[in-house]
Amino acid sequence: MKEMPGKWAELEREAREIRRRYADWEFIEKQPPRLRAALKYYVETGDIRRAAKLAGLKLEDFRELLRRANVPVVV
Amino acid sequence: MSAARPTAIADTCFLIDWARWRRRDVIFKVFRLVFVPESVLDEITSENTIAWIANWLAEGSLALFTETRDIVEEARRLVERSREIPWIRAVDLPEAICLCAGKRWGYVVLTENRGALMAVEAIEEYRGVKVWRALEVIREALRTGVIAVSDPLSVFREYEEDTRHIFPRRDLESVVRELEGDAGKVG
Repeated sequence: MKEMPGKWAELEREAREIRRRYADWEFIEKQPPRLRAALKYYVETGDIRRAAKLAGLKLEDFRELLRRANVPVVV
Repeated sequence: MSAARPTAIADTCFLIDWARWRRRDVIFKVFRLVFVPESVLDEITSENTIAWIANWLAEGSLALFTETRDIVEEARRLVERSREIPWIRAVDLPEAICLCAGKRWGYVVLTENRGALMAVEAIEEYRGVKVWRALEVIREALRTGVIAVSDPLSVFREYEEDTRHIFPRRDLESVVRELEGDAGKVG
């Protein structure tokens, strides 16, 4: 199976919409390029570990950045 | 008399949100013991989370899980297998270690990593592993009376407020309905 089964696809879609809606885009746009890219990547994918790597931050530090950017974790 | 409390193993994503919740200590009334893999501990950086973990390690309700070579090898195989299934979100080594320990010793795996949730559905040999998010831990605390309130939804809302973690609507509604049904049966 290549495509995500419906239940998961729906959950992913819902999560992405919530992250996009809650995100403080003004805060995100003001960040240095690396953090900005990582935050946008997280909003689109929800993949915190890769986003933290992109940001060059430890996982928990990136989680704190998400809070400051008002981007919720949706799981 | 309630059934014996299970043992759990927690990954980083779970702990860093859970440790911010005002009722975080209820986890030790739901579980007999919660293991924290050393690789997970390495990812914890905030004073709040470290202090909470240190306190409960001292109390003996949390315990360090030292990864053995065979568990790490099994976890690496699981990571590779998860990469071969195109629709699964990435499972990384810390979560994979938790899943392998869950499979081997029957621990409940505590994670907020959707890849881990997907993996136990997609990979046959991990299908029996019990994977809980904060949603299920809170449900269990409410179901067993560890948290006694008349409005279960308010407890989930507290968690969302304290941690900036949002539960998927459908999952939350389903759990609240289930809890209210249980309360109805008891009452």
